[in-house]
Amino acid sequence: MNEQTEMMMQTIKQFADESIADIALKIEREGIPDDLYQKIIQQGLIGATLPPEMGGAGLERSSYDAILFQLAKASPSVAFHVFMNNSIILRFLEKAGKKDEISDVISGKERYGFAPGPMMEGGEDDEGYLIIEPNSKNLIVDGNDGSIFISNAKPELLNKKPLGLRGLRTDIAKGTGSGQKILSMNDSELIWEEGSWHAAAVFLGLAEGALDKAIEYTKVRKTFNYSLKDYEPVAFRLSELKSEMEILKNTLFGDKEDTLTGMMLKTISSEFARRATKYALQFHGGYGYLEDFGVEKFYRDAVALNSIMFRPVRDKRSLASKIYQEKSGFL
Amino acid sequence: MRWRRPGIFSGSGGGVMDFDLPEELEEYRKKVREFALKEFKAELAEKCDREEIYPDELRKKTFEEGLVDFSNPWKTMIAIEEMCRVDPGLGISATVPYFGAEVLMLHGSDYLREKYLSRVAQGKAMMGLGVTEPGGGSDVAGLKTNAHKEGNKYIVNGSKMFITNGTIADFFVMLVRTSPPDDPKKRHHGLSVLVVERNFKGFDTNHLTGKLGVRATNTGELILNNVEVPEENLVGEEGKGFYYIMEFFNISRVFVAAQSIGIAQGALDRASAYLIAEESRGNFVGEERKFKLAEIATRVEASRLLMYKAASYLFNYRPNPMITSMAKGYASETASFAAESAMEITGSHGLKTDLERLFRDSKIMEIWEGTSEVEKIVISRMMMKGDKNE
Ligand SMILES: Cc1cc2nc3c(=O)[nH]c(=O)nc-3n(C[C@H](O)[C@H](O)[C@H](O)COP(=O)(O)OP(=O)(O)OC[C@H]3O[C@@H](n4cnc5c(N)ncnc54)[C@H](O)[C@@H]3O)c2cc1C
Repeated sequence: MNEQTEMMMQTIKQFADESIADIALKIEREGIPDDLYQKIIQQGLIGATLPPEMGGAGLERSSYDAILFQLAKASPSVAFHVFMNNSIILRFLEKAGKKDEISDVISGKERYGFAPGPMMEGGEDDEGYLIIEPNSKNLIVDGNDGSIFISNAKPELLNKKPLGLRGLRTDIAKGTGSGQKILSMNDSELIWEEGSWHAAAVFLGLAEGALDKAIEYTKVRKTFNYSLKDYEPVAFRLSELKSEMEILKNTLFGDKEDTLTGMMLKTISSEFARRATKYALQFHGGYGYLEDFGVEKFYRDAVALNSIMFRPVRDKRSLASKIYQEKSGFL
Repeated sequence: MRWRRPGIFSGSGGGVMDFDLPEELEEYRKKVREFALKEFKAELAEKCDREEIYPDELRKKTFEEGLVDFSNPWKTMIAIEEMCRVDPGLGISATVPYFGAEVLMLHGSDYLREKYLSRVAQGKAMMGLGVTEPGGGSDVAGLKTNAHKEGNKYIVNGSKMFITNGTIADFFVMLVRTSPPDDPKKRHHGLSVLVVERNFKGFDTNHLTGKLGVRATNTGELILNNVEVPEENLVGEEGKGFYYIMEFFNISRVFVAAQSIGIAQGALDRASAYLIAEESRGNFVGEERKFKLAEIATRVEASRLLMYKAASYLFNYRPNPMITSMAKGYASETASFAAESAMEITGSHGLKTDLERLFRDSKIMEIWEGTSEVEKIVISRMMMKGDKNE
């Protein structure tokens, strides 16, 4: 990890300790509070990777991933909020040359929700559309054929708010309303691919958040007069997961920058995050099933975010085609 | 399931094993499914999940329809499976008012059965089982709640954690320590079961909210501060409580297997309906997702057969704790495998539907009534003792 990334890790850890840790449970119950949105803006976390001439902080990839990683350890919802703004909304706006809109997002003047929509597997159906942060004035919509739209039409929210993504005030809406097309599918697909690194950072951060909790808990919890850490299945499983974690982090914060490595890392991290968070919950026993212990959210979000950030067919197909260097895995 | 002897395992005579349930039970399965599809309304399931409310009206309706028949464990098992298949939170809520009843059925005095169990059987009362404590659930014999005798009463002090029906049950079948173990290595000695009413003086409860899933079920903490329990509320013999509870788990784990298989089957139903709809919309569904569906289906089938085997031993009065633990352990892991895989197959669609709730509900199966690790402890211990299939 280079010095800049190391420093960013420290800074964001401190930010998370001071501004998130105490309200992490509240975020799950009520969503991200407005003053935290403000603090995120003030810290310059929105627009982190955009060049300074566009109002961004011009961070290199691994520093930005350090932000996502540390935030996800404290609150996957907050990490996803920052990911969604930087790696989805601002990237789409940037590619579409929407300069004014970009500066409004960075300054916090305007907020955008995101409708993963039909392009995602499972998007196109009669259940309506998933909207993340639906109370925002504007919306970025992933359209039918993968092209991207901006819409400021008020969607008709069904007030269903899936509990799986509690912190993000996600809701379901009927109908898409009108919108202005800003990008074609080819452009948006490239942005998704480039975003793989950052999706991996969120998955790995939330996995580490869960594993750290499990390691601490299994040191102090006793059954049959022994600490849980003394039992082979507990100690071996958690140390294996921690080993995988370190290897994956070496790639996340290593020298490589290419999209293919990012895609590989995302593929592995999304599966790893679900597995690691599940064990972390399991080793908390009954307490793991209650929100107060702050571990169930990691498992819930690992699975829910997987549905949004990892498209099991498209992403695997893109990866296969890059590995084979020709179209593959399409039958 | 009917076992026709001589069976294929006996090696004599080339008999056959019939994998179908008797027609009467299949009819019953249909009846329960129709009821659940009609009564487990989407709005009710959503409301109970969101607001963490116990669906008492549904409990009454289920009772009135006679759908939970504890005199027939096969029917109970099938009812649990079919209800959880439609909605686990509601399904468990509707079938859990009797939780712990078997302890009283098997060991309670006539007085206790008449006073407590008959009211439960008439749908007039609810009960719960208090074993787990804040300090531990897996280590049952390590419990701290204690009861000492004063005259013709037990004075009980301590607390119980994560108790289903905790703030709504009328009484609890509770495991407590009535005497110190005679040998530190035999901590399971000196434990007894008492029936403790919720309105006994000194008894307090605390509603536990914020569960990941099964949020329609009620969960509470029980606090006992010098609670006076009449001596006639002792179940069976003093000091035998550990054995009664282990015997009970051997029964209830078959029912947890049924909850788990219901969830796994529910996930399978939803994932396959989604893929069928995708194809009919003209969207391509490749082998990757189809194979995942096949894996879920295979595991559901295997879990169900294992449950039938455990049930068949148990309900024919030949309980086999090893097979029961295998059935519960495997079915519970299948439930979360199926729910997670269905979420993967359906992508963001799953997040918008009740599959997302089913996924959250599924995880408890690997925790309650013996965690997956505890089931493996039971299985390996029996394997190494030489207790194989029979
Ligand atoms: C919603 C809900 C409802 C419940 N309802 C009831 C109820 O009605 N009545 C009741 O009595 N209880 C109830 N429980 C409690 C449940 O049965 C316990 O949570 C469960 O038995 C685990 O106990 P624990 O939570 O204390 O975990 P612990 O025993 O502390 O275990 C923590 C972790 O360590 C693992 N572990 C423990 N010992 C070992 C070992 N030797 N080797 C390897 N791993 C080990 C466990 O498998 C688990 O993963 C309920 C729990 C929940 C969450």
